[in-house]
Amino acid sequence: MKPSRLFADYGMVLVLALLCALFSALTFSDQSPTGEAAAIQVAKMLGQGGSRPARVLIATRDQPDDVAYAAALQRLLSAAGSSAPSVSVVRGEPKDARETLQRLAASGERLDVVACTQATGAWLVFSNLQADFPSLGEPRFVSPRSYRWPNFLKSENLLNIANQIAVIAIVAIGVSMVIITGGIDLSVGSLLALSSVLSARLIRDYAGGIAASPAGMLLCCLVAIFACGAVGAFSGAMITRFSIPPFIVTLAMMLVGSGIAYILAKGQSIYQIPESFVWLGRGADFLNVPNAVFLMAVLYGLAHILMSRMKLGRHLYAVGGNSEAARLSGVPVRRVLMFAYIASASLAGLGGVIMASQLKSGSPTYGGMYELYVIAAVVVGGTSLAGGEGRMFGTLAGAFTIAVIQNGMNLTNVESYTQKVVLGLVILGAVLVDKARNTR
Amino acid sequence: MNSLKPANSRLSILLYPHPILVKKHSLAKTLCLAAVLLTGCDKPAEKASTQSNATPNQGTIGVSLLTLDNPFFKTIGDTITAEGLKHHYTTVLVSGDKDVAKQSNQIKDFIVKKVSAIVLSPCDSKSIVPVIQEANAAGIPVFTVDIPCNEPGVKIATQIATDNFGGGKEAALAMIEALGEAGGKVAVLHFKQVESCQLRVRGFTEVINAHNAAGKPRIEVVAELESGGAKDAGFKAAEDILQSHADLRGIFAINDPAALGARAAIEKAGKTKQVVIVGFDGQPEGKQAIKEGKIYADPIQFPDKMGVQIVDAILRHSKGETLPPQFLIPTSLYRKADAEKDSSLK
Repeated sequence: MKPSRLFADYGMVLVLALLCALFSALTFSDQSPTGEAAAIQVAKMLGQGGSRPARVLIATRDQPDDVAYAAALQRLLSAAGSSAPSVSVVRGEPKDARETLQRLAASGERLDVVACTQATGAWLVFSNLQADFPSLGEPRFVSPRSYRWPNFLKSENLLNIANQIAVIAIVAIGVSMVIITGGIDLSVGSLLALSSVLSARLIRDYAGGIAASPAGMLLCCLVAIFACGAVGAFSGAMITRFSIPPFIVTLAMMLVGSGIAYILAKGQSIYQIPESFVWLGRGADFLNVPNAVFLMAVLYGLAHILMSRMKLGRHLYAVGGNSEAARLSGVPVRRVLMFAYIASASLAGLGGVIMASQLKSGSPTYGGMYELYVIAAVVVGGTSLAGGEGRMFGTLAGAFTIAVIQNGMNLTNVESYTQKVVLGLVILGAVLVDKARNTR
Repeated sequence: MNSLKPANSRLSILLYPHPILVKKHSLAKTLCLAAVLLTGCDKPAEKASTQSNATPNQGTIGVSLLTLDNPFFKTIGDTITAEGLKHHYTTVLVSGDKDVAKQSNQIKDFIVKKVSAIVLSPCDSKSIVPVIQEANAAGIPVFTVDIPCNEPGVKIATQIATDNFGGGKEAALAMIEALGEAGGKVAVLHFKQVESCQLRVRGFTEVINAHNAAGKPRIEVVAELESGGAKDAGFKAAEDILQSHADLRGIFAINDPAALGARAAIEKAGKTKQVVIVGFDGQPEGKQAIKEGKIYADPIQFPDKMGVQIVDAILRHSKGETLPPQFLIPTSLYRKADAEKDSSLK
């Protein structure tokens, strides 16, 4: 594929790359090494400069990176053999550090070095050490040297973005299909809420509540997704049998779905579900990639194959391009439309299950305005609202564009009302870029 | 807590934009525009970072409040920002917009940013649990304000809220003072789903019961109706009460909007001389009504004191002090005389 063709197909990817570059430049800030790397650096600093320390206090928080740092530093310091310093370790909160300092002061010991992490170095418990604990002497404070790197480009942030957008991106697959057929689906946000409430309630009432088994939970989730699919089938039937415009049908189903979700949940969130239910939304079993993101990637792969390699995909484009011509050339228009609405509703159901899993509860308030974000992702991704054109990976790029803008603005402290204005303008700008590309 | 559940926002779909025909535009021009917009909006952040270079920066406080369109929460947020700056903390203040999924994402962004402390008023005490656990696992202390999260399995450094029970007692004292020697029938406009309102009514009832038990002129609570903490529902509830108890003498409303709704009903019934209202909160509109004599008095809350208390709690936590599980900020009675001295009112 020639680069120019690639750009023509996925112009949005360029915009996405520019946004990433922009936010990387804006979030350039001090980072500090963590874990083993930090320990090696600090050990080296302690080895330098004249007298070797005899007493060292390692101050860390009770979290994985800090624990690894403390363990590695202890190992490195004890490797010095007979000249190894005596080491105490704090693992926890400032309160724990204070207790340790009090204990050391009471036993009459002096401290030569306090080895911190970036975070513990800022603890106020150490800010006035000489005055608070004069008997400890004047220890030197050592913490890993910081380097400059964008907050935006940290791997955990990039995974964070993918995880945040997974639900919208998955729902956008189905809505893309509907929009490619020339229709619209406004009910996805409500169906997402309905599915989250239904799955949570089924687990609470019928699968044993917080003691539910994985198989039971899976069954409840499938029932919830299936129920949403049935709503989609109903919408599809209304559209194909009675020729009611999709806008009206799905607007009605949006209200119905939301109402049923409120009724089923009695307006409350349903949270009596097992701890293990968060596996789908928050687990990361494969190469540190969150399961929801993995599922999203698989679904996009399948959707891409469906749309570009299979007969059904070509039929979806044909119906959207010109439904009358498609009918005359033997495309089963009604069945194709039914498929699109069922797929859209089922994927919204799946999105609801993922959201319930991420938040470990189902609530009728989930998914508010999601239909608009999803449609924005689809349109930003280059799919025409007139139907007949659009690509799955375009939609994915559109969803990521929205996620990157939101995350980037959160990281650069843009106030939340301004965020809405910027997001709206960027969506408009992205579509302008798309138009410019097409008319060139 | 004095705000309503959000109305269903899905009807805003009717504003759905139609595809627009656009003239030819150069790619570069559009991108420049987007870039200017984004960098333009980023100026406050840049300023904050240069300031923190000049002084030793203690770190960042991430704050996500229930909403920022309620002056109560806005004041809490602004006070934290100002107070934090005094102690060399940078503050990131965002609004959860009553959307717990949005708030969860905000907290996750705080964790990635490695903030030194997180302050939040949960949009949903149950659904926020997983993300608080994530912050706990990352070793970042979490403070809650106004709305607590008392679920098992989460570690909250401390909770800061108004002493709603004490406030309810003060409301009862104001009611007793207003009714004077005669006593009489009073009604309560409740907002039962909200825990803070339950506490207010419990405090109110306790003092009224003690007053009656002491043999003073009897005050009888004849009705307890749901007001939803809103003007329209408060109006309807008060109208119904006036129908069934024509000789009603007083109404205690759990917040200012409900009190103002009740006032409208009383005005409509022409009973402004007969029925007194005691509200709660001390929002600007409520204070104005007190000045005009429409509401007798309010136990008022102090969101600014709450903000100061939060920053103080963060500092004490960082110094390694042991914090109590909650700080209660007392209310204070605000009557017409206070309103006349209040320079913030017209």
